Amino acid sequence: MNLIPAKNDIYLDLQRGLFKEARLLSAELYNEWLSEIVSEDIYYRMDMPQRRFREDKSGQRAPAKTPIFNDDLASLKVKVGRYDTGFVWAENPMNASRHMVSNVEVFETDTKDQFKVYSVVELHRSRLNADRKRFTVGREDIWVKSEKGYQLLERLMTLDDSVVLDSNMNFFL
Amino acid sequence: MENLDDLIDFKTGRQKRLIYSDADIYEQEMEKIFGRSWLYLAHDCQLEKPGDFIRTFMGEDEVLVVRQKDNSVKAFLNTCTHRGNRLCKADHGNSKTFVCNYHGWSFSFNGELTGVPLEEAAYQNKLEKSKYGMVEVAQIDSYKGLIFATFDEQAPSLEKSLGEMKWYMDVWLDAMPEGSELVGTAMKVELPVNWKLAVENVSGDGYHLGWAHAGAMTVTAESGLAGLSVGNSEVDNESAVSVAGMNGNSVLAALDGKSGYAFYNEYQKVWDYLDENRATAVERLGKFRGEKLWGSQINMTVFPNLQFLPGLNWFRVYHPKGPGKFEMWTWAMVDKRMSDELKQIILDNVSRTFGPAGMFDNDDGDNLQAATEQSRGWRSRQMDLYTNMAIGNEHSREGMPGVVSDGLVCEQNQRYLYRRWLEMMKADSWADIPFYNSLEEAQATEGK
Repeated sequence: MNLIPAKNDIYLDLQRGLFKEARLLSAELYNEWLSEIVSEDIYYRMDMPQRRFREDKSGQRAPAKTPIFNDDLASLKVKVGRYDTGFVWAENPMNASRHMVSNVEVFETDTKDQFKVYSVVELHRSRLNADRKRFTVGREDIWVKSEKGYQLLERLMTLDDSVVLDSNMNFFL
Repeated sequence: MENLDDLIDFKTGRQKRLIYSDADIYEQEMEKIFGRSWLYLAHDCQLEKPGDFIRTFMGEDEVLVVRQKDNSVKAFLNTCTHRGNRLCKADHGNSKTFVCNYHGWSFSFNGELTGVPLEEAAYQNKLEKSKYGMVEVAQIDSYKGLIFATFDEQAPSLEKSLGEMKWYMDVWLDAMPEGSELVGTAMKVELPVNWKLAVENVSGDGYHLGWAHAGAMTVTAESGLAGLSVGNSEVDNESAVSVAGMNGNSVLAALDGKSGYAFYNEYQKVWDYLDENRATAVERLGKFRGEKLWGSQINMTVFPNLQFLPGLNWFRVYHPKGPGKFEMWTWAMVDKRMSDELKQIILDNVSRTFGPAGMFDNDDGDNLQAATEQSRGWRSRQMDLYTNMAIGNEHSREGMPGVVSDGLVCEQNQRYLYRRWLEMMKADSWADIPFYNSLEEAQATEGK
C-alpha cells in the first residue's frame, strides 16, 4: 500500500470524525457510535500483547493471536446491548472517561474513498474513590467515505500493557 | 497472628474477614500453602521442542519452565545465582541458554552454569560452577498434559494430592483419545483482589451468576440453560451438582451435557461437535460422565489456584501479589481433535465472555475488589462472612466421588475450600494434613 498523505480537507474531516467519535465514546453514547460512526462491515480488533525477545522468530501454535476485542457489528451490538440492560452494576454510578486522541495521520489507499488513519488514544478512567486508570493504545484504522459521511470500516488496536491493569474493560476505544 | 481456628468455621460456613487483608496471614499462606502445594505451571502443548520455555509464577516466586533435550520438563527459579537479577524477561520463547543481563553469567537450558565472564582473569578459575546452577523446584510431575510442581520435597505425590478430582478432570483431559490443549496466549489481568475471593467465586458460587451477570446473561444466547435465570428469580437445583471434599479440590457442574456453551453466540457448531463425538466420550468416560458431564458447564478447582471450566472453555491460574492483589492468566482450552475453525470459535468466545474485556468477567472484578477493600478497615475486618447456604445437604451419591450437594446455587464447595485452607495453614508438616475423597473420609478427618 502506497502511503500518500490525504489532502488537507480530507484530513480535517477525518480528524473531526475521530474527535466526535471520542466524545461519543467518553459519554457512553454507544448506540449513536454504532449508527453514526461504525460501518455495517466493521472489523474491530485488539490482541493481547506478549513480551517476547526481539530475536525470537519462532513460530507459534495456531491460533497465534489471542483477541481482547474481535468484533463485527453483530457482536458490538451484543456488547452495547449489555450496557443498555441497566444491569451492569460496575457502571453505576457512571465512571468518568476521557478519550484523548492524538498523533493523527491520514493516508490515501489504493481503494477509492478509503483512507488509512493512524492515531493514538489515551483513555483516562476515573472510578470509585481515588481509583484512576489509564490505557494507551495505538490505532490503525480504515475509514470509508459514504453517503452518511466517513465511517469506520476497520480498527486494529495495539494495547501497550502485557497485563491489563483495570478490573474491567467496560469501554470501547 | 490470630488463632487460626478463630478465622474459619467449617461447620457453620463462617470466615473472618481479615483473612482477605492481613499481611501476616498472607505471608503464612505463601509458606504453608503456596510453598508446599502442587502448583500448576504449564500445559504440555505449550512446550513443544527442547528449549521451549514459559515464564510463570509459583506463589510470588518467578519460575522458568523449560522443555529438556530428553523431552522431560524442568522448572527453575528465574533468578541469577550470583547477584539475584531476573534471568529471562520474555513471557515465552525458545532458548538454549539464559544469559543474565547484569554480569553475563550464562546458564544452559538444563540449568547448569556454563559461562562466567572473566572466569580466569577475575575468579582465577576458582569458581566452582557446578555449585551455582539455576535452582530447581523440589518436585515436578504432570497429569494428562497439565504440568505441576512443588517447592516441598516432602509433599505427597501429585496423584495423591489430586485424589478423586482426577475422575472429574478426565471429563476434559481424557474424553478424546488425542487429549487436550490450550490455544492462544495468556490473557493477563491484574486485580486489586485477595486471591481467595476469586477462587471461591469460581469454585462454588453459582448464586452470583443470575444477579452479578444479569446484563451479560440477558444478551447472550441460551441463557436459560444450566437451570439459571436472569435476576435469580428461579433456579433448578435438580439439574446440577456441587462436589467437594476431595483434598480441597472441587467441581460445580450442570448435568445436561451441553450447557457449557450456553453463553456462546455460535454454539450450534460446538453442539454439532458434541453430537459427533458423544459416542467416543461415552466409550471413554462411561455413561454418566460421557452423557451428563461432557459438554456441561463445569467449574473445576484444583487447590489452591488453578481453575478450568470445560464447556465455557476457559483455563485460569491466579498468581498472588500480596494480600490485596493478584494476576490472573486465562487461556482458551480445547480438545486437540477439534478443527481449527472450532478452536478459533472457542478462543473468540472465551475472549468475548471471560477475557480482559469479556462480558462476564467484567462483572466480577469490581465486586471482588470491593469485598477485598471491605475486609481492610479496622472495624470491618473484625466482621465475619458467611458461606452457610445449604448446610446439611452434603451426601454421597452412587457412582460419583467426593461429597455431593444438589445444585449450582449452593455454598458447599466454598466451605470445603476454606476447610482445606485451614488444614494447610495449621499444619507444621504434611503428616498433619488429612487426605479425603468421600463423605465418610471427610467426616472422619474433620477437625483432626
